[in-house]
Amino acid sequence: MQPSLQIKNCQLYRQNELLLSLNEQVKGGEILTIMGPSGSGKSSLLNWLTGALPPGFNATGEVWLNDTNISSLPSHLRHVAVLYQDPLLFSHLSVGGNISFAMPKMDKKQRQQQIDEALTHVGLKGMAKRHPDTLSGGQQARVALLRLLLSKPKAILLDEPFSKLDQQLRIETRQLVFSQIRKYQLPAIMVTHDESDAIATNGKIINLNVQSDINVR
Amino acid sequence: MSKVLHSADLFSRLVKVTPYCLLALLTIPVLGGLMGVMLPAFGWAPALNKTNMSLAGFNVLWDTPGLSQMIGLSIRTGLISTLIAFALMIIMLAAFFNSVWLKRIEYVLSPILVIPHAAAAIAVSFLIAPSGLFTRLFSPWLTGWQLAPEGSLPYDAFGWSIIIGLVLKELPFLLLIALGILAQPELGKKLRMQHQIAINLGYYPMVAFFKVVLPNLYPLLRLPIFAVLAYASASVEMPLILGPNTPPTLAVAIMHWFNDVDLTLRIKASAGALLQLAITVGLLLIWLLLEKISAMIFSQSLINGRRHYAHQLVRAFTYIVTCVILVFIAAALIGLVLWSVAGYWRFPDTLPSNLVLLHFENAFTHIHTPLFNTLVVGVVSSGFATILVLLCLEAEQITAKPLAKWALLIIYLPLLVPSIAFLFGIVWLQQLLNSQHAFFNVIFVHLLFVLPYVFLSIADSYRRLDPRLARVAASLGSSPWKVFIQVKLPQLFAPILIAMALGLAISFGQYLSTQLAGGGRIATITTEAVTLANGASRRTSAVYAILQMGLPLLGFILAWGLPRYVFNNKQA
Repeated sequence: MQPSLQIKNCQLYRQNELLLSLNEQVKGGEILTIMGPSGSGKSSLLNWLTGALPPGFNATGEVWLNDTNISSLPSHLRHVAVLYQDPLLFSHLSVGGNISFAMPKMDKKQRQQQIDEALTHVGLKGMAKRHPDTLSGGQQARVALLRLLLSKPKAILLDEPFSKLDQQLRIETRQLVFSQIRKYQLPAIMVTHDESDAIATNGKIINLNVQSDINVR
Repeated sequence: MSKVLHSADLFSRLVKVTPYCLLALLTIPVLGGLMGVMLPAFGWAPALNKTNMSLAGFNVLWDTPGLSQMIGLSIRTGLISTLIAFALMIIMLAAFFNSVWLKRIEYVLSPILVIPHAAAAIAVSFLIAPSGLFTRLFSPWLTGWQLAPEGSLPYDAFGWSIIIGLVLKELPFLLLIALGILAQPELGKKLRMQHQIAINLGYYPMVAFFKVVLPNLYPLLRLPIFAVLAYASASVEMPLILGPNTPPTLAVAIMHWFNDVDLTLRIKASAGALLQLAITVGLLLIWLLLEKISAMIFSQSLINGRRHYAHQLVRAFTYIVTCVILVFIAAALIGLVLWSVAGYWRFPDTLPSNLVLLHFENAFTHIHTPLFNTLVVGVVSSGFATILVLLCLEAEQITAKPLAKWALLIIYLPLLVPSIAFLFGIVWLQQLLNSQHAFFNVIFVHLLFVLPYVFLSIADSYRRLDPRLARVAASLGSSPWKVFIQVKLPQLFAPILIAMALGLAISFGQYLSTQLAGGGRIATITTEAVTLANGASRRTSAVYAILQMGLPLLGFILAWGLPRYVFNNKQA
């Protein structure tokens, strides 16, 4: 079975005003990009996908993850992880603690080994004991990515994930994130303002710019 | 030109001095008061013709019958009530975090915050008494009681009644402080996002709160918790009304010794005050130790990846407890109102057989002086406190230097040092300075307790005020004084009024400080209520408790309504 994230007949409303309608399937390793100005409903779409639609919004339609309908599941049972523009690392935990927090329950030694390997893999060897605040912006972004990947999610949402990084860092981090998504064959949806982010995905791009009142396809 | 402008700006220079005035105003009386207790404790009391330093006071203290029971009662009630209030606050926050119910609970509990301790204690004592509303609700159909039973509540020897009273007062305080911290724009947003991340990673919402939000929230709650613990271990209002008499808590006993006609007892009382101080410090250390131990125990489980605990059980428990607390508060208030208007009220009857306004009418014939005193002391102390705090906050902005961390500790000082330990010293100092003006003395002492609350209430809004407003006004040629008076204060009209109302409420609720600093000559609604609670009829006592609650409530209604009224008029 190939992993996939499917949005079936989604219609997203703000105060009964239709923001967007969407019918999409994203296969494992693919990245669907959604672009649009603020207020076009792209962040609310991500909130709907994670099951945390704020009051004032409502949506119809279904989310299917690997042939399971997760539309009515609470956020914490969906296995849909989000990468935000801020790394939002937990400041009460070390770098290793942040990753460990996200991992499934397992033997302590095994856990430590996986963390060390993962950190080494992204060029942060031996930084497990460091406090997140002592890391640079790019390093924090990588830890946030590891935290997300090692939680073994079934799909990934990217909420303008690179917008706070400078140009050079942006390209590097983007390559890392996209390569990991392909390596783990995870379906991903990215919301962004940035054209270059969208092009780098090599995937389908949906633009909410032009007409938000009718089906954007 | 610039030199002229500079020297003309008297306001800025004046303002810069006020933080030091504030800190001095808080530290000198508290430390001086402690000094004034310490000297007599070690036998130096010129007024009693004793100038030999000795430990005689402590020897007398150790020989007091029942001293260990007093200490035990103080420690038990202080620690248990704080633990319960803290635990309840945490599970309520955890269960209702990000839910609309948190706001609703906040609305219900905020008025409790301004109910004076004495009034709350009176309401609780009525409710849990053998002939209180609870037994009436279940009698005789369930209990079969036709006559009020013999019961140990209130005044039980263990102190459960005190604990109930303290928890009901401290829980809203802690909860509102925590919500205030979470309402800080940056921190609150960060914690809510991190909570959401944990949920996305598969954590149950309540578990996510405990593993992600609480570790970041707790350090900011430590000081308020300490204030609660310090108060609970050394307060006199609650134990006086709800506690046992043989023996009472240490703080109550000390108060009796100080007020005794036998002046030599003052030496023993001073020694007792130092003992009380040691007990309170000890409790704070115990709390720190508990903190360290729980951090050690739980540090591993924070990152063990476990997403699921018995959270459903905890949540169900929280819902039930929340309901119980709300019902308890409602019943206590209803009971109080019923007593105040009750005519004839036979025991198992749930309601009085007739309602009369007689008790209110009686009270009103005696109330003029206490009411006048209450209002004058309250308005002067909270007004002065508000002005001082505003100038301090303005100084912070003019010098662009935020108050140091230790300054916050000093602002909390009058709340952390048990008042019974330093108030007597202050009174002694006031006598030494030959300050015979009871009114002035009372206002001065109230100021110590009003200042911290006014500061904590207003600081956030002042600091959050958009700095561009002041810059725009300055660029238009307004002096700092004009910016302060014509831009900042009107912008902060609503929070200033709220802070003043809080200051009034704190002043209205003062019992011990009024009694001591006024030498018993300044009667307020609160001192009358406490006196009446021990002895007079329930009905009169209920009337005074209601008046005690009504005054601060009136203040808050004014503070809430006035900005709307003024604003509407401006619009018209």
